[in-house]
Amino acid sequence: MTTHTTNAPVTMLDTPPARKRPDWLRAPRAALALPAWAWLTAFFVAPVGMVLWFSFGYKPGIFGTHANDKLSLDRYAEALSPTFFTTFQNTLWVGVVGTIICLIISIPFAYWLALKAPISRRGILLAMVMVPFWTNFLIRTIGWQIILAPEGWFSDLLQVTGLTSAPLDILFTRTAVLIGVVYNYLPLMVLPLFVAFDRVGNDLREASKDLGAGRWATFTSVTLPLAKPGLIVGVLLVYIPLMGDYITATVLGGAKGNMAGQMVANQFQTAQNWALGSAMAVVLILTILTTAAIAFFIAWLATLPVRHRRRLVLGDDR
Amino acid sequence: MSPQQPVRILASTAASRIIAQEYSRRRFLSFAAAAAGAGVLAACSSPSGEPAPGATGGALENNLSIYTWGDYDDPEVLTDFTAELGPDITLDSFNSNEEMISKLVAARGTSGYDIVVPTGPFIPQMIENGLLTKFNLDLLPNMKHVDPAFLGRDWDPNNDYSVIKAWGTTGFVYDKTKITRELKDWNDFLDAAQNEASGNFSVLDDPAPLLGLYFWSNGIDWNTTDPAHFDAAEDFLVNTLAPHISAFDSYPGGVAIPQAQQALMQSWNGDARIGILESEDPDRWQWVLGSPDTELWADNWAIAAGAPNPEAAHAFINYILDPEVSLRELDYNGYHTGVADIEDAARDAGIEMLDLIFFDDAQVETMHTQTITDMQQRIVEIWDKTKAAAGA
Repeated sequence: MTTHTTNAPVTMLDTPPARKRPDWLRAPRAALALPAWAWLTAFFVAPVGMVLWFSFGYKPGIFGTHANDKLSLDRYAEALSPTFFTTFQNTLWVGVVGTIICLIISIPFAYWLALKAPISRRGILLAMVMVPFWTNFLIRTIGWQIILAPEGWFSDLLQVTGLTSAPLDILFTRTAVLIGVVYNYLPLMVLPLFVAFDRVGNDLREASKDLGAGRWATFTSVTLPLAKPGLIVGVLLVYIPLMGDYITATVLGGAKGNMAGQMVANQFQTAQNWALGSAMAVVLILTILTTAAIAFFIAWLATLPVRHRRRLVLGDDR
Repeated sequence: MSPQQPVRILASTAASRIIAQEYSRRRFLSFAAAAAGAGVLAACSSPSGEPAPGATGGALENNLSIYTWGDYDDPEVLTDFTAELGPDITLDSFNSNEEMISKLVAARGTSGYDIVVPTGPFIPQMIENGLLTKFNLDLLPNMKHVDPAFLGRDWDPNNDYSVIKAWGTTGFVYDKTKITRELKDWNDFLDAAQNEASGNFSVLDDPAPLLGLYFWSNGIDWNTTDPAHFDAAEDFLVNTLAPHISAFDSYPGGVAIPQAQQALMQSWNGDARIGILESEDPDRWQWVLGSPDTELWADNWAIAAGAPNPEAAHAFINYILDPEVSLRELDYNGYHTGVADIEDAARDAGIEMLDLIFFDDAQVETMHTQTITDMQQRIVEIWDKTKAAAGA
């Protein structure tokens, strides 16, 4: 009897042999991410590396696109020359202002959708945010070209109702590009913010009110800080593709709303100058990275006093 | 997939075995190379020296891919071709020869396009760089309908690689309700562009005609290679004209004219005609042929190197050279197709606005074909800078 009982646990331990496999035979846990790593290496890291490499080369002749036998930083000097630099400035302006407008529109809307709108309607309201995505991006943008045309129906409507006295003069300007990008990228801001506000839920907000916080205090010190991850995701999801967008700028911007994406496309498609195009692409990538880093640093710095004041102290320090 | 035509070689018994082995080995190698190439980025692979298999008159493939200028072919002609002969057509369009060539160069024979439509002067370099496949002229009997004046041009003297698709010229269209004075030539165009049409005018999104604006209006040969002329052109376009440009639009006839988006537009004649015909009020638009000098361009049907569907490509080109089909094309895109006696046919058919399609000898005299010179790179650079400056 006793031997049997002492033996039993041993056999129990023996049954799952896989778990007893020595550590060195076990596949590393990172293997789960192997497909993602392989994908990113082949289709992101390697191409970016190639772009970086091309950017140090030059264009050898009409039918050559790039050569790297002489390496230099000349293409960067060219990309940052005054003619092309203004386009980077314009792109940055559209990118920053566009993202801020998306943010200003999306925060109250997503807040309302996630916390105030009747739950039974939430699904359909969310679907309505998504519906424009069912139409092709280009078609939607060309639609704006017709709306904003000086003799389009919108311009006529404004004049008939007396809101303006002259035909609309927005098409083929930076304002038109701004309208276009805000329209095109708004859902990318609304959705992460909606998810973030939705996850905050009502419990913590009610607790905040029970403890005496007003509406504003609850929003700024409970809801918004908890929704911060969604806020960051939304800003990045809008800002990064917006900076590289060239369809909206081509369709609505005409000559005046030129963006860096178009310059890069011109270099690769028409000028066949991959070296200069690559240098421009690298400058664009660096601009996006630096400005995003600066923006987050400013946000971190600006909220520092608030976070310091509201620091939660658990237990007694004294 | 259509059955492959067997290759027949007459040889001595002793040699035939070796040839057969060599042949199958080569086919295996080319197959292996193609399979390996698919795994590598197109840009990294080495250019293939082997010419692509041409057409032999075998069965047509199921597909045909055409890379051409925007809105250039009657959609009904394309669907009729598919209905009559079978191959489904995929269309893709480009804005400039440079764009088309860069895509072909980057793909090195794997672009997947069967038919491309280069403008004449670009053809010699395209041949030299192995971007085009030779025609099998036996499969193009309808070439006999082409007016001899448009055959054997200096870019392809024997029509081995290309045959005329359409030719046209560059001028401009203006809105008479916004520009009340009469504009007659390029100098008037540039003057209006900097005055009443400022911020309300577009130029073609194509490097050569942009430079042409400066050269034509100043009486300079637009094929000049004098660097001083280019410096002056750059200064004028980048510093003087660019701030007034509101769009770079190769096809104002598509949206800009029907929607009255611009007051003044540099335009190709056929596109201008489409736009004016589609406008609600055609009378407000005035077409002006560029003068004192302007462009004469001739676009050509050609078959891309490595075309996956060479039989269908030949069948299509032959189909479209038929005088009746050609007339439908002319009616649609408003360009002279180079087919003999088409002017009379168009007049008999009652096609509208013939003055934008056919030009008299005195007018043709002022039109000049572009030649590709060493300055090509500089032309594209100036165009680039003008675009950047216009957005400043």
